[in-house]
Amino acid sequence: MTLQSDRYQELARSARSAAAGSLGRRIVRARWCYLFVLPSLTLSILFTFYPAVASWWISLLDWSGFSSVPVYTGLDNFREVLGDEYFWGAFRRSFIFMFAAVPLQLGISLIVAIVLNDSKLRMAPFFRTMFFIPVVTTAAIVGIVMTFVLAQHNGPVNTALMDLGLIDQPVDFLGNPDLALPTVIGVFVWKWMGLTMIYWLAALQVVPADVYEAARVDGANRWQTHWRITMPLIMPFAAIITLIGAIGALNVFPLIQTLTGGGPFFATEVMEIYIYRTAFGVEGATAPRLGYASAAGVWFGICVMLIALLQGLAARRVAAMRRDLQGGGARS
Amino acid sequence: MTESAPRGGPQLSRRTLLAMLGGSGAAVLLGGCGGHSEPNQSGASSPGDFPTGDVTFRWVDSGDQKATYLEQYFERYSQEHPNITIQYDPLPRDEIAQVVPLGVQNGNAHDVFQLPPGVTGAQAIRENWVAPLNDIVPDFETWKSRFPEGHFLQGSHEVDGKLYGFRLGSGRRYGTMLLYNRQYLDAAGYDPESEPLTWETFRDAARRVTQAGGGDYYGYVIGGGQVERWAYVVSGLAEMAGSGTGTWQVVPFDWTTGEFVFTTDQHIGAIELLLAMKADGSIFPDSAGITAPQAREMVPQGVAAMILQGPWNIPIWQDTYPDFDFGVASQPVPDGGSPTPMQINNDDGNTLWVFAGSEYQRVAGDMFAYLGSEEGQREWARIVGVSDPPALSSAMDDAELDERSQRAWDLFGEQLRVGPEPVVRNIGAADVLTQWGQGLTPTFGETLQGIFTGQLDDPRQALQEAQDRYNAELDRAIEAASSAAAEVSRDDFVFSNWDPTRDYTTDDYAQL
Repeated sequence: MTLQSDRYQELARSARSAAAGSLGRRIVRARWCYLFVLPSLTLSILFTFYPAVASWWISLLDWSGFSSVPVYTGLDNFREVLGDEYFWGAFRRSFIFMFAAVPLQLGISLIVAIVLNDSKLRMAPFFRTMFFIPVVTTAAIVGIVMTFVLAQHNGPVNTALMDLGLIDQPVDFLGNPDLALPTVIGVFVWKWMGLTMIYWLAALQVVPADVYEAARVDGANRWQTHWRITMPLIMPFAAIITLIGAIGALNVFPLIQTLTGGGPFFATEVMEIYIYRTAFGVEGATAPRLGYASAAGVWFGICVMLIALLQGLAARRVAAMRRDLQGGGARS
Repeated sequence: MTESAPRGGPQLSRRTLLAMLGGSGAAVLLGGCGGHSEPNQSGASSPGDFPTGDVTFRWVDSGDQKATYLEQYFERYSQEHPNITIQYDPLPRDEIAQVVPLGVQNGNAHDVFQLPPGVTGAQAIRENWVAPLNDIVPDFETWKSRFPEGHFLQGSHEVDGKLYGFRLGSGRRYGTMLLYNRQYLDAAGYDPESEPLTWETFRDAARRVTQAGGGDYYGYVIGGGQVERWAYVVSGLAEMAGSGTGTWQVVPFDWTTGEFVFTTDQHIGAIELLLAMKADGSIFPDSAGITAPQAREMVPQGVAAMILQGPWNIPIWQDTYPDFDFGVASQPVPDGGSPTPMQINNDDGNTLWVFAGSEYQRVAGDMFAYLGSEEGQREWARIVGVSDPPALSSAMDDAELDERSQRAWDLFGEQLRVGPEPVVRNIGAADVLTQWGQGLTPTFGETLQGIFTGQLDDPRQALQEAQDRYNAELDRAIEAASSAAAEVSRDDFVFSNWDPTRDYTTDDYAQL
């Protein structure tokens, strides 16, 4: 008890010492940290912070991106955006996409991760690699290739389904407005499932082996071990994995642009496609409107920020649960 | 040498902040594209002298058949001028839409470029993006005098006596001619070259070919994933069927009233024809999602028999598929009708511009001098042919065209007429173009796509709504241009003496 108290006092002293001194002195003391952070910070300022802040200003302008005299229009772009049914259609589709894709991605990848986490599975590294290959493949390439794979005429998927006798007529996966969005969601889940699988594998490998050992000694079968040991212990990770997946499901521009371009007739137009279309215009028809598109982007960004806030809250919750878990372990 | 580019604690807060800003992908995209505080700092330079040291001259355009011609020319030019390395970048137009504005804003645009879609000549000139050719093309007046009257448009290519835009071709072509697999059409009992198809025989031929194909090939294909293809096909079918419309901004426009008109019987008939062919099952299955270039490949690959596209397919197919036996014929017209000529205008996209900030404007002028010469135009006609006919019609007369190209050229002579241009009548109309293009969603092309896929179930109502949107937008654009000091009105878009069967000439403008 005395030893522990001394340790706390020592830690408190060193913390006070670290906090002491001027800001400059503290920066000098931590100079290497700042030096290593500098490249990343510079790039972030150039390509994230500055453009993000600039887009807020641009959203208040009537500007095609070409003219030298943008016209300040106040909140007109926001008013117009909020009155545009195609904006709300894209907004709705973005969230339909997210709410459909994320549970599918999490569920399927969890099953795959559990199977691949079995040390008895000899080919596990091979399968992990196979599932991960789509993740490292450029989204635009996946989109282009999938247009051929899913083609109604002689597409391999339709050919396989016909050969298996599952369908009589080829399915127009990307041209049928009722099927296009589910198909794009399916391709998205297939592409990114490998990444979520890696998250789940990391979570599964955190579960201590001795807990499984103890469960086996107590006579628990695989099913009971899974539901009573594995799932409760990895659930805290589910929150953060879900939110990472949600953010990812809102960033789908290259995949959808190459798969369908947002069509047919807006059936797969999500927010990013909407922003792109309004920013650069439709060839030979509509004018580029960077100000208007920025307003749509800013509004969408606010929604993404809310999700990021949820991510933060979830991360806190995970940290608290981990502390509880570690505290409980120490007590036992 | 030429180079051708293909084409919970403090940590948590920080992470949250990064996620917030990083997650705003759209904001990043837009800010990145438009964050420049002073977009027009290109800094027009004087033409300067012809370079004597080693320089790299950069040129960007939309490629296609132009690229074949220009690559050969640039090779020769570099041999004649070993100190000049030419970097030629043929790019898709959507990439030009990003590369050129960013280059201009940053002062490092290509020395010669095509304007991005959505940017008018008037706008580029006003924004000081481009340099006048008067001082950089040797013997400019003689050079310019070779081109036919009306080739360069006041307000669009030429302002205040200075010529900025160089139209390399005449634009005398249309993009919906019938190109077909002779073997399939022969088997179906049709020979469109000797007896042009009507809407009914077009449908019947497609049906018969599809039946013969048994799922391996189909009667007709359209690159319907590219929405403007719907606009071209339906406008073209209706115009040649006698709708009494021309086109403005690539959509049907009645010049006699100055109104957009999408709901004539011919327009409704054209979309109903496509819907009937879809119901027959004779349209290639993936047509709603594929692009025009993808659709183009389906015909020589033998999975589709007919396509309504442009003459640029002729050399491509002849070069890539030398054994493919295909025919070239007129776009179909309704039963018992004769084709009404289609309108072309003199403001097509194949215009080249010299960057105002270029240090090598003299090089551009030297090249333009050749490209606009009799010899340069003859070579253009020989290599590019009917894909994009040269500006000088005499060059086409001298070209030895193959049978298919000659047929296409003859069809263009019979079926195309130059239409009126509001900017020629009133330069203020150029300001309307600058203001044009808001609130049109769904566009004419998008509306047609929606009708075809069944998402819009009442064609007439959908087209009427689109027509109303376009007319309202024209009123708004005129109003905005007027507010910005241009003297322009809706009357400037009314050409009561327009007759679709003949070219609209200087005399016609004078009679207004």
